Amino acid sequence: MPYLSSLEQQGIPTVLINYGEETGKVQHDRTLYGIPHLRHVVASRKSPGGASEADILVEPLLEAMTRPLTDEEKESGMWAPTEPRILFEGTLEEAEEFYNQTENIPGILNAPFSRYTDGLPVVIPTEERVAAMLKGTSHRPDEVITLQRDMKIQGFTSIEQVITRKKGEVIRFMPMYRTATVEQVAVNAVMAGCKPEYFPVVLAIAESGGGTGDGRGGGGAFIVSGPIYKEIGMNVTNFIWGPGNPANKTIGRVGSLLWRNLGGYKETVTTITTLGSPVTNGGFIFAEYAEGLPEGWRGLNEEMGFSKDESIVMPCMPGAWGLGQQNMPGVYRSLQRTGHGAIARFLDVKGIVGPHNYLEYLIKDVWATREGGFTLVMPQQVAQDLCDYGFKSKQEIYEWIWKHSFEPVSKFKMRGAQDFVTNGWLGIEKTSGKLWRELPDDYMVPAGGDDPFESYNILLCNMEETAVARFGGGHGQAFSIDAWR
Amino acid sequence: MAEIYKCLNPTGTQMPVRTSGLAPRLDTLDGKTIHMSICGEQDIWYFLEKKLKTDYPNVNWTVKKRYHIVPLQLSEEERKTTDAVILGVCW
Repeated sequence: MPYLSSLEQQGIPTVLINYGEETGKVQHDRTLYGIPHLRHVVASRKSPGGASEADILVEPLLEAMTRPLTDEEKESGMWAPTEPRILFEGTLEEAEEFYNQTENIPGILNAPFSRYTDGLPVVIPTEERVAAMLKGTSHRPDEVITLQRDMKIQGFTSIEQVITRKKGEVIRFMPMYRTATVEQVAVNAVMAGCKPEYFPVVLAIAESGGGTGDGRGGGGAFIVSGPIYKEIGMNVTNFIWGPGNPANKTIGRVGSLLWRNLGGYKETVTTITTLGSPVTNGGFIFAEYAEGLPEGWRGLNEEMGFSKDESIVMPCMPGAWGLGQQNMPGVYRSLQRTGHGAIARFLDVKGIVGPHNYLEYLIKDVWATREGGFTLVMPQQVAQDLCDYGFKSKQEIYEWIWKHSFEPVSKFKMRGAQDFVTNGWLGIEKTSGKLWRELPDDYMVPAGGDDPFESYNILLCNMEETAVARFGGGHGQAFSIDAWR
Repeated sequence: MAEIYKCLNPTGTQMPVRTSGLAPRLDTLDGKTIHMSICGEQDIWYFLEKKLKTDYPNVNWTVKKRYHIVPLQLSEEERKTTDAVILGVCW
């Protein structure tokens, strides 16, 4: 929409084609980007498509380009909605009713949608509670959330250029492209049930965009690394993603509230999503147990360029949960301790005591139906076994896995997402530096992501049971929690 | 009597937006340079691009195509010689 806005303002008439269910969002976005009367033509996802769809679209497209403007379409002005700082005054009981109110949204078949919450009841953000939350940071309440350091960002696909972002850049919360103050973030932290000592983590999450993404963020998912996990009591042990731990549960929930309230997410009105994720619904955050790392392995904070003593948060995208070979923890132990069981048979090391390379087993067919990298969350014993086997750093593992993901271009072409990530095969393939469409069918390319470090990640939890969890996605961008203390 | 509380607003700040009228429309299609900015799903464009070029041969059609959801933009130089833009299906 910013592109269309700039064209219109330069005197070049434009017409947008959008799909039917996106019309509400188009009407919203055109105001947000300063062209409230942008003309658009609606296509249908349900039409037969092909020539018949083209026949339907041509006339309205050309009409939208040539029909003279109405007086209303020529108008300019200012759109400046405002919100009061004090939203409600009353008893706590009345406030509960107010903050938990819903509205019916036609686009989701008139299902109720919460005005201020993620659908769950919230802690009422009284002035006193918000003031207490603000004691969790040295930053002023009226300070606008900005980037705390320079950073370089790789675009979503490899065909996009690296973007440099500068310290001080105002963070925009999507889909409404809003800004926020420290106090506004504190209001949401109170509502989520956070304690003041959690607040620096919440502010770092806000600096990362607050789980709002490009407007379809879903509330996000986050990994914490560094000593703060101990200070605030995040569970890094058994049931790391289970209920019962206030820090994990309430901080994880914050992203959904920031998306709803700071970003202004409203399904089918300000954003169109698809089905969402059961993994992140309700919040997703966990911390790394760096104390359990084998000698020479670095924690996530150090991997991301911070010191060992600095606490950070890194947004992640935990899709494709559980991908790869399954195993019972006991089978893993049998492999390493006595060389028995299914994995020992698979690795052909029956009767031979470990360490054995469990990764050989884990990656079998892992890219068969899904390309890209993944994150492994493992207990310290599994990490130690890998180290004893010969992996002296996490990076060696990332590279080992990535090298095993190569496959011929002919096979790579059969995957579902590649038209997108290769820009219709018009983009550059990274390992060769050549155009995708010029590569022979037998040229080997990585199905497991463009880059070992970006595509893979290893994190430890403190657990004696030897279960390894894994989900899609590797390293992203990290944000300092300490900068928000 | 129950205590009365002042409760704060969790919503973010909407910065003011200066809105503008649309650019004047074309008086005719003949002889004009109209740009097709194709992004996101390509499906409906396969036939639409062909039909526009076939049915309106007096238009100078230009195209930038991208599978990504963010369109490839016209340069400032290209904008000087472009009379109109059709963009779809992502914005």
